Amino acid sequence: MRPSDVVITGVGLVTSLGATAAETAGAWLDRRTASIAALPELAGTPLESAPAALLPEFDAAGRLGGRRMIKYMSQGALLGCMAAREALAMSRASERFLPERIGIFAGNGLAAANVTEVRDIIERSIDETGNFSDRLFGERGIATANPLLSFKILANMPPCLVSIIEGIKGPNVIYTPWEGHTAAAMLDGMNAVACGLVDCALVGGADTPSNPATYAFLRSTGLIGADDFPAAGAGYIVIEKAETAASSGTKILARLDTIEMSASTRPASDPLSSRLGRTYAASPAILMGIHALAGGDVPPLTGADGQDVRISLTYPEAR
Amino acid sequence: MRRVAITGFGVVSPVGTGKAGFWASLKDGVSGIGRITRFDAETFSVRLAGEVKDSPHLPPDVDAFARRDPKVGFAFAAFAEAVGQAGISRLDSRTLLHIGTSLETYDLRLVVRDGRADFGAAAGFDPGTEDGPVQIPLDKAARLIEGRYGRPGRSLTNCSACAAGAQAIGHGFQAVRSGLFETAVCGGFDSMINPLGVGGFQLLGALSVEEGHGPLSCRPFDAGRTGAVLGEGAAVFVLEPLEKALAEGKDILAEVVGYGSSLDAYSLSAPDPDGSGAERAMRAALADAGLSPADISHINTHGTGTQLNDEVEATAIRRVFDGHWERIPVAATKSVTGHLIAASGAVETGACLLPLLFGHLPPNPALERVARGCELHHVTESDRMFNGRYALTNSFGFGGQNAALVLGRVD
Repeated sequence: MRPSDVVITGVGLVTSLGATAAETAGAWLDRRTASIAALPELAGTPLESAPAALLPEFDAAGRLGGRRMIKYMSQGALLGCMAAREALAMSRASERFLPERIGIFAGNGLAAANVTEVRDIIERSIDETGNFSDRLFGERGIATANPLLSFKILANMPPCLVSIIEGIKGPNVIYTPWEGHTAAAMLDGMNAVACGLVDCALVGGADTPSNPATYAFLRSTGLIGADDFPAAGAGYIVIEKAETAASSGTKILARLDTIEMSASTRPASDPLSSRLGRTYAASPAILMGIHALAGGDVPPLTGADGQDVRISLTYPEAR
Repeated sequence: MRRVAITGFGVVSPVGTGKAGFWASLKDGVSGIGRITRFDAETFSVRLAGEVKDSPHLPPDVDAFARRDPKVGFAFAAFAEAVGQAGISRLDSRTLLHIGTSLETYDLRLVVRDGRADFGAAAGFDPGTEDGPVQIPLDKAARLIEGRYGRPGRSLTNCSACAAGAQAIGHGFQAVRSGLFETAVCGGFDSMINPLGVGGFQLLGALSVEEGHGPLSCRPFDAGRTGAVLGEGAAVFVLEPLEKALAEGKDILAEVVGYGSSLDAYSLSAPDPDGSGAERAMRAALADAGLSPADISHINTHGTGTQLNDEVEATAIRRVFDGHWERIPVAATKSVTGHLIAASGAVETGACLLPLLFGHLPPNPALERVARGCELHHVTESDRMFNGRYALTNSFGFGGQNAALVLGRVD
């Protein structure tokens, strides 16, 4: 490899196939598929038998070093923070680079608040005619709301929580809400490393399309096919130049050759979907992460935003 | 690398729809802040906002969405004005579309079925009805633009909260400067003047509940400031290589010369009290522009009117512009527009064009007594003139995202 090549030195994944990158890649190689089940929140509705992927059990507090920040997190933020921590630990990036020289280039999925929490707020705001009332919302609904609700629904919060927890202070972008947006963020990160804007970039994203409200939206708009099932997930990848990895003796998982994007007229197609579920904004990072660990050509992806995404990796010979 | 010119600008704001009205109001310090009319806010403790008064004229398909999600209409109208000025009628593969916004519109009314919240039933709506889906994704505005103007080479929707608009412009600037794209159409749009938006910010305690100063209730850097006031709107810019724009005889409004972004890595809701994140963004923008602090002649502050934000920003500015800040006139245009959240960075970039193009500095009419710690060269009078070359604008977002842009006058 040339010193200026952009390489992958860390992968963090939380998916329906595994709570870590190693578990996910292992399950992928073993050709396992996600466990699926209907969402209890949608019982008694037209979607009561629609399946969604289940996440494996994980110890979030243990992985994130305590519960203090977890109360601020949506599920997407929680998954993203766990994936980011795993990727950074694998690459030891936080030890090797100044916080100001590490950037975050991320994608985030559709906003997905806790349905139980939102349901309480809405039901407190229904008037005697059975309709939602602005006045009652101001009078009673807000009082029911968790003051932290805003932090859970603002789309930039998941990557910002990664920044806060990991102390990352460099350049950043956050795009939303589909596959092509996350791929564009990852490409920005790759370019930022290549041109020297940052020494290291944390690229990836998280999404929670199996949130009942989000799932309902996806079904109602036809953005998820009848044969597809949604899956929450997150993937973060640490990239840097080959020379910094080599000089510190950091293991190079793969060389990131290209992330190509082009407008497509094809229907959405995700090579992970039949086994792992549709993870939308998280998918490009999960796809890259799995292949960085498991090897092989990365299959193309066509997002719900009509973007074709092609990721090309080359693996070290000693692998 | 190529120099990057602004060849088109469009704006929808509480002080004017269209750039002529916007600049005229800013020049005279006319406030667009008043009682909320967009919904019944009488039972909310926050009842003031900067609403867009002159609804833009929109095509029927856009208008249908804009009635449920006003920011979508603002984005479309600002886009149309900007590309119209730049003489662009279709987007093509050499064009980047990058617009920033913050929070999805989630229509709570539509979730109520038979007197209770029912997400599953709401999903079973008839797509042919006027209601449409409960949730409007943040890329809806970009999709509507593409539907009318064609697909660009890349379409991005940035969700970096209050830094989103500035980040979109900075990213577009980098893309044109590097030659990755020939044209960038970029900016920000937002409206949180709805029950969920106002309620959410009310919960955070970030908004002013005082109404005693009426239209001047947003008081950046003032000793009596009591918090931010929400605004709404959009601003969009067309960026092209300067040489190409000159060769084509296009109007050059200004050039973008530098961009920097940073993360506080401190808190979700409060800025790093030592201002180091803001400082890094400003220094990065200056370095990117190849300028020193002495080169800057005007600063449009983020200036929200909240206690901590204003003091932290003023501290960071004094540190970056040590030895110079006493002579650099600063604006705080949120005093008249309110805080347009994701649109603020773009609208305030548009505000920087007023001094760069016409030599007028926008005043902060709400500033009566400068707060301790907020000492800067504030402009409060509406007749202050400007003859400088470079202006810097700051945008700092919830979550700790910071962005700074440097613009230059083109003679």
